[in-house]
Amino acid sequence: MSETTTAVQTGALTNIGFLELEKCEFYRNPNGFLCLRYEGEEHNRVQALRSLPLTQPDAFLCIQDMENQEIGILETLTTLPEGMAELVQEELERRYYCPGITDITSIKEKMGFYYFDVSIGGFKKTFSVKDLGKSIKELRRGGILITDVDGNRYLIPDLAKITPRCARQIEPYLY
Amino acid sequence: MKKKGKETRGKEKEKPRQKGRLPKEVLALLEQEGLRTDTLLAAVTGDMDNTGEFCARWAAFDEQGLYFATGSETVVSKKGSKKLKTDYRLHSLETVPIGDYDELKTERYVSTGRLIGKKNGEDCSLTLFSIGFLKGFEDFCKTYNTFKSGKPLENAEQEGEERKCEKCGMPIPNGFHSCPKCADKNSTIKRLFAFFGGYKKEVAVVIVSMLIGTGISLIMPKISTQMLFDDVINKAGTEPAEKLIRTLGLLVLGLFGVRFLNTLFSAVYQYIIGGIMPRVIYDIKQKIFVAMQRLSVGFYASKQTGSIIEHVNRDANNIYWFFVDGLPYVLINSIMVIGVTGFLFSLSVKLTLLVLLLVPMIVLTLVFGGRFFRKLHHRFWIMNARVSSMASDNINGQRIIKAFSKEVDEYDRFAEVSGKLKGAELKLALTEATVFPILYLVIIILSTVLLAFGSMLVVRGEMTTGELLTYIMYVNMLQGPIDFLSWVSNWWARCVNSAQRVFEIVDSKPDVLESETPVMLEQFCGAIEISELVFEYEPARPVIKKLDLSVREGEMLGIVGKTGAGKTTIANLIARLYDAKEGSVKIDGVDVKDLSMKQLRSNVGLVSQDIYLFIGTIADNIRYAKPDANLAEVIAAAKAASAHDFIMKLPDGYDTRVGSGGQDLSGGERQRVSIARTIIQNPKILILDEATAAMDTATERNIQESLTRLKSGRTTIAIAHRLSTLRDADRLAVIDEGRVVEHGTFVELIKAKKEFFKLYKIQTEALKSVGIVE
Repeated sequence: MSETTTAVQTGALTNIGFLELEKCEFYRNPNGFLCLRYEGEEHNRVQALRSLPLTQPDAFLCIQDMENQEIGILETLTTLPEGMAELVQEELERRYYCPGITDITSIKEKMGFYYFDVSIGGFKKTFSVKDLGKSIKELRRGGILITDVDGNRYLIPDLAKITPRCARQIEPYLY
Repeated sequence: MKKKGKETRGKEKEKPRQKGRLPKEVLALLEQEGLRTDTLLAAVTGDMDNTGEFCARWAAFDEQGLYFATGSETVVSKKGSKKLKTDYRLHSLETVPIGDYDELKTERYVSTGRLIGKKNGEDCSLTLFSIGFLKGFEDFCKTYNTFKSGKPLENAEQEGEERKCEKCGMPIPNGFHSCPKCADKNSTIKRLFAFFGGYKKEVAVVIVSMLIGTGISLIMPKISTQMLFDDVINKAGTEPAEKLIRTLGLLVLGLFGVRFLNTLFSAVYQYIIGGIMPRVIYDIKQKIFVAMQRLSVGFYASKQTGSIIEHVNRDANNIYWFFVDGLPYVLINSIMVIGVTGFLFSLSVKLTLLVLLLVPMIVLTLVFGGRFFRKLHHRFWIMNARVSSMASDNINGQRIIKAFSKEVDEYDRFAEVSGKLKGAELKLALTEATVFPILYLVIIILSTVLLAFGSMLVVRGEMTTGELLTYIMYVNMLQGPIDFLSWVSNWWARCVNSAQRVFEIVDSKPDVLESETPVMLEQFCGAIEISELVFEYEPARPVIKKLDLSVREGEMLGIVGKTGAGKTTIANLIARLYDAKEGSVKIDGVDVKDLSMKQLRSNVGLVSQDIYLFIGTIADNIRYAKPDANLAEVIAAAKAASAHDFIMKLPDGYDTRVGSGGQDLSGGERQRVSIARTIIQNPKILILDEATAAMDTATERNIQESLTRLKSGRTTIAIAHRLSTLRDADRLAVIDEGRVVEHGTFVELIKAKKEFFKLYKIQTEALKSVGIVE
């Protein structure tokens, strides 16, 4: 197989519909929603979805209209102009809201539920978790994602960076 | 939910309007801001503002306006009480005229949701909230939209806001009426013991046998040590040998007697427990199984019950083993500790006081040591489970691994997890090797101190040698029971957890309930009328959106659409495996919710792509829907389903065992058996849900022929991807995104050149490209 053929084929494979940054204009409409003007076309209300929400939250962002039709893929958030990047980031944070746990006061197991007493940025929060195997996920790079019984998600960004006391609390429950 | 409904209805006469469920403190704060809370029609609690900032958020509406309040809440202890209370603060109150928003709706995101108001056809963001509050906001929207449409509000209910237990302050998970941690504990234990209600006499005999057996075993050190030393060995040389030998003989006989009685009483209670427990476990499993049959399909689809069989077996075993191996020894060891302590005091008060000083140290060492090791064991267990699942994953995927030449990568992946297991095992082994000798050393030192103090008492003449040795024997007898009692509470907690899970299944309410006054149709004709049907498996993710569809009696309707369009859901709703959220499915003019479940299910036959054959013979499987069918009917059904020929080729014919562990049948053969099962049921409505999608062309043709025979004289709904299989349909409906986008006859739809035409063109061109012309 010649190099040209390989390049053509690879090019075809990687052509996943990236949005051209210079043609993108993200803005928020007066009703509070993210909108996109792309190649002169107005998309009133768009949604930004993460392709890799756990491993690369700011890359390969799928921009869809409200009918779930893909407009294109934003390769990375950092390449967007500052104001627009913030708008998209806000949208992503609202959709994938996942507060970071800064301290674990206690984890108590009662009647099949695990009650987590934690601090989130200085605020105390208690939530309950069931079915540990599915609810607590170890992420790459030492992160831990906890989903409570109501579907709310909490993140310990890096187990190595929290206090040894917190690490000892959560460690027995990691599957 | 029902209870709340009743309460609301009970108060309707005095107060026709609903306030939702805002805490009274919040209502008071709103009143202070000048808002009349007695006229509120609905309210809901959230936890974020419109920008996604974490705060206490309340939304409410009355006939004048829609109100959004932002504040904070802090959980604090009540003064002079163990109970907790919440302090609320109000920061802002925003009022929107009621005319501004024509409709409210929610949108569901990954872990949040949004309340949206429709203003002049445009969406406006009103507030965000964590996903746990979604149900509350959904109900709020429903009430608002009902009010805006001018319909009465009596059926609107408020549910889903985060509730906290007054006793412990912990959040109460959705789906629980009370705090599972506090409220259910005592009732779980009571209910667990209630299973023994039928065996009161046996339980009494068990307790008496335990008391006597343990009491007898407590005498043993007195005979085998104290009397042996003080009455025989220590008197050697001072009293005649014959007398001592006679006393020794009596002691040996006494010892045998005591041992015999101890064994006899142990055998009695173990025999009785052995007889009761299998019956109790049988009762528990029967209750679970009955509950499982009662529950709707939705229960099995929910994530919490994915491993229901594993749960049931594991939980029943947990209960079984605790009652067989745990509870009896709790009683025995408790009696032992009390009895031994009494004997110790009778032998030496001074020495016993010393022991009582040392015992707490030993107990604390055991409790904390136990906890520490449990964590290490848990970590080891988890790592071990990971290695096992990875090995199993690897073995199952061997073909793929080899095809992609990924052996080395797989080895690296395994080595990483296996390395973690090695680390956990090493930590456990090394800690055990270090801690246990230290623990034993502590115990030996304490025993030596005890022996030295006791010997001093012997030297002073305050105790005999026999008494000291007996004393030490009694102290040794304490070790086992104390050790057991120090960790049995965890075992007990596990048993109660299991019981709670069991009762969770037993108490689960089915989503699909038979009407209290079910309608029995005199003649089931099979005309279907679906109007404004809305259905969602998860809140705010509708699968069917205001769908209208009708099928005449005896008509064949073909349903086509993309994967995920909602075709199978329609079939499930006609068979009432689920209930519609809004709108209705009527058969012969009667809502399926009002129809007798037995009549409905016996008249709706479902042949789906997922074929399930039960453990049993082929004949048993065919007559599953009609157990009294004779063999001639079974063979006739098999012939009609084109199954007879392949069945006759099997060595055991219709007696061939299928299902788990039985004869392997191909997909097509299994499908034909399942069609025969439906034929024998003779339903008036036949739903063919992708019945031939996974078959090869020849098998499909065979099955199509059987299905054509089956269709005559009944209403048929055929769901298919391959449009060619729907040529016989009287009419076709194209479903997309939960709605009917097009309907008509095959020819009409082709002529219309819309969605169906596009699908048909794609398929025929694809076939033409490989040289097949339909």
